[in-house]
Amino acid sequence: MKTLRHPTLYLSALLILTTFALAARVGEAAPDFTATDSNGRTHHLADYKGKYVVLEWHNQGCPYTKKHYESGNMQRLQKEWTGKGVVWFTVISSAPGTQGYVTASEENDYAKRMHATPSAVLLDPEGNLGHLYAAKTTPHMYIIDPKGTLLYNGAIDDHPTADASDIPASRNYVSAALQEALSGKPVADAATRPYGCSVKYKD
Amino acid sequence: MRFRLVMFSCFLLACWHPAGAQKTAAKHAQLELLAQQSAAIPGRTLPLGVHFQLEKGWHIYWINPGDSGQPPVFQWQLPPGFSAGDIQWPRPEKMQTAHLADYGYHDDVLLLVPLHAGKDLKSNSRVEIGLDAKWLICREVCIADRAHLHIALPVSSVVQSDPGTEQVFANARKQVPRPFPARWKARAESHKKTFVLVVETDTAIVSSNPTSIRPPPAVDFFPLQADQIENAAVQVVVLGDTRVEITLQKSDQLIKPISLLKGVLVLPGGLPYRIEAPVIDREMPTGKRRTGEAPAAKTNPE
Repeated sequence: MKTLRHPTLYLSALLILTTFALAARVGEAAPDFTATDSNGRTHHLADYKGKYVVLEWHNQGCPYTKKHYESGNMQRLQKEWTGKGVVWFTVISSAPGTQGYVTASEENDYAKRMHATPSAVLLDPEGNLGHLYAAKTTPHMYIIDPKGTLLYNGAIDDHPTADASDIPASRNYVSAALQEALSGKPVADAATRPYGCSVKYKD
Repeated sequence: MRFRLVMFSCFLLACWHPAGAQKTAAKHAQLELLAQQSAAIPGRTLPLGVHFQLEKGWHIYWINPGDSGQPPVFQWQLPPGFSAGDIQWPRPEKMQTAHLADYGYHDDVLLLVPLHAGKDLKSNSRVEIGLDAKWLICREVCIADRAHLHIALPVSSVVQSDPGTEQVFANARKQVPRPFPARWKARAESHKKTFVLVVETDTAIVSSNPTSIRPPPAVDFFPLQADQIENAAVQVVVLGDTRVEITLQKSDQLIKPISLLKGVLVLPGGLPYRIEAPVIDREMPTGKRRTGEAPAAKTNPE
């Protein structure tokens, strides 16, 4: 059989490949963004130069997110690391009508009820921030270093399950990376497979 | 319908009930533990299958679930002397949205697990086999679920074979990737942003499957390891008589070189093969020719 040439299909393949070229790679500059939080404030990543920034993709209905919130694991991490000067952004990219989509006031009620204390919750119903970082799952975690370089991209820990009883035996990649970076060491696990529910993007 | 026929023939022959177990209702799914044969033969392999029947639109996951999800996990409770082999994963489907792709199964799937029966079984006794299964089932949303399944079988040196059950197992085995033929060659050329997987066969790829010519033959590569290729990126396929070349976009998560690209290769006609392609570094200094970065080719519409 001879090789077929389909200019239209070829073109669409190239376009899709180009779309995927935009993403966040460890060791490269983290994509800059501007986003609005659940209190109406605007955050610009470049304004946080000099600090470590954590991005946590979130969907309150997802069993994997529930694993880390109903156990209090995520809240402990937020409290510990913001207490040490780290900026922690929870990001919600669920589109309206999909699981995890919340209005600003619904999110503030949830955060209060769950005792969640991120620096801010960024609302991303259009999925712009999600696509900029190619966020795949909830949770999906990123760490940006004080120079604006991506330090970590991946899972929250090494137990890809929805079972909270796995947390005590898990290696938390976010804490490990922050501890290593803060003590001047290279990050041992800088890119891992994120696990969880798919991010419920707008189609 | 097949099930009814089987039941009917069993009634006539007063034979073993082929299902051997009851269906267990779970969230958006029914499960049952099936045995291929009517009895456990001491010292021999006992093929079992965990049968998932899923409500329309719901899916479970392959061993590499892709961008999200989680594969089922089985924990067996076996009689002394028995051991369970690994799940023989059927080739998955690619479940793609605009930006993400997962690998898994819709509708109906039998996950085969070979058990090895102990040697010292008393004849005319019975063995009880239990299974704790955990899995994730998703449609737009995901549910983590679990069930306990059970089957009891007599010990015998004579087994009855039921055509309906044999067929169910035979169909499932067709979907399990076969070994890569020894006379074929595979390599993965590593470029800056892509792997070009090149497979050379010793027989014509398409003509051996005449039914596959229309619609266009589909070629798919499913990565066994996470974080090597971008799951949702289009796989650009160039198909020749005895050669197939697939351009795969590297994953953003791939930050260390790999020596083997492992996965399942599906060729036109749907035959799945296990593939382990040695990775060859083809990253050229700037200005030199770059093959495979963007071949003008037919794309795979899946």
